[in-house]
Amino acid sequence: MGRHVIGLAGELPPGSRRIVEAEGRSIGVFNVHGSYYALRNSCPHQAAPLCLGAVKGMTMPCKPGEYIWAREGEIVRCPWHGWEFDITTGRSIFNPHKMRVKTYEVTVEQAGDELPDEVETFPVTVEEGLVILHT
Amino acid sequence: MTVTETRTPTRGSARQGLIDCDVHVSPRSIDEIKGYLSMPWRDRYTGGGRGLFGNPVHGARLDSTPPGGGPTGSDPDFLRKQLVDEYGHAYCILLPRAFCNLHPDPDFGTAIAAAFNDWLADTWLSKYNDDGVFKGSITVNIQDPIGAAKEIERWAGHPHFVQVMTDSGARAPFGQRQYYPIYEACERHGLRFAIHPGTDGMGINVQPSPGYPTHYIEWHTCLSLSFQAHLVSFITEGVFDRFPGFGVTLTEGGVSWVAPLMWRLDAEWKALRSEVPWVTKAPSAYLRDHVRLSSQPLENPDNPKQLLQIFEMMDAEHILMFASDYPHWDFDSPTHAFPKLPEALHRRIFSENAREWYNLA
Repeated sequence: MGRHVIGLAGELPPGSRRIVEAEGRSIGVFNVHGSYYALRNSCPHQAAPLCLGAVKGMTMPCKPGEYIWAREGEIVRCPWHGWEFDITTGRSIFNPHKMRVKTYEVTVEQAGDELPDEVETFPVTVEEGLVILHT
Repeated sequence: MTVTETRTPTRGSARQGLIDCDVHVSPRSIDEIKGYLSMPWRDRYTGGGRGLFGNPVHGARLDSTPPGGGPTGSDPDFLRKQLVDEYGHAYCILLPRAFCNLHPDPDFGTAIAAAFNDWLADTWLSKYNDDGVFKGSITVNIQDPIGAAKEIERWAGHPHFVQVMTDSGARAPFGQRQYYPIYEACERHGLRFAIHPGTDGMGINVQPSPGYPTHYIEWHTCLSLSFQAHLVSFITEGVFDRFPGFGVTLTEGGVSWVAPLMWRLDAEWKALRSEVPWVTKAPSAYLRDHVRLSSQPLENPDNPKQLLQIFEMMDAEHILMFASDYPHWDFDSPTHAFPKLPEALHRRIFSENAREWYNLA
């Protein structure tokens, strides 16, 4: 179980993402409406860099002819074949039970001795929490 | 002349000479094409694709946009990095997208085709092609068979053009006699004739479904329809009997339909042979000599064994050729799109079938 400091919470505001390398794996860390999530940056379909895809909402299941757009900012779409995945669970929209991408825990902890070097250059108003990826 | 660094001789060796039968390259801008058009076409040409049925998600891999800017498939160094170097391609068969079949004016469509050919020959087939990894397709305007045949003559003998290409969009099935000047020229010069989806139902072309579908998902799923109609037409009209050296590459038209369609046609032929007496053998028996299918977008049943059964039914060992469709959104990865194949079959599909079909070294 690895513990990886991704950066300061203030550097990853809602709607942003960061792709990191951890233990040889490429992982995308997302801030969705203030909560952090991490997904393996490899689509289970054909291994495309999933976490580089567009982050949007989705059309919800509905009656024929209806369009209900919801979950804005919670869905990442694979940049190759366009498959949609729920960032908060790693589950695909079309088959959440069988088609899913690996997720990782992300926590925000108060900065202690682990402050990245660049913290010194940030103004004091920046959030001080550290975003930690657990692999 | 662009100076390119010497490349390491890995291509062709790493994966037994992967040949990719559907790679799309684009001009950096419309001006590149306009530069090859004479007046009045230069003024009139505004570029443009098929016009309807744009992909509602994205049309090309989002990671295929060149870092230095420009359209996807327009930067040779980036394409090499993302495709040739990544997977070890021995050859990429290039199919530019001119969409010239949809114009009512045959002279205009033929002029656009010629400009794309001049551009491709000057760039991807020469300047960008120091190692010969790129092989090209001669774009023709199917609506102008005589002009198309002249265009083929213009390029005959070029070392890197290996086939002639057209969109599947047409006003009549491709087996009909108005197209024969094209096939005659292909046969004379040993060039295959590739059909690629595009311009179905656009401009002056017929839509092969009953009317226009509503959604992209329908339109895209049903792209196979015109391929099926064209293939049945080629066989029943006797094109392969008339031009025994002529061969058709069905590119991006689907794969899994071919065996059952041939069973159906064979069955019909047993009763109706007398209507087309020049068809002297079972229709399915024409495929190995005259038809190849490129694999992408490969239908993938949940049970991979079923796909292997389909491969056996359709004689994939002899008629299926790998294609990625780079850089388009439904790109098939050479390493992930197929289930595990027996080694000999893998070699046939990923290399040998295309090598023989295009007579590549």
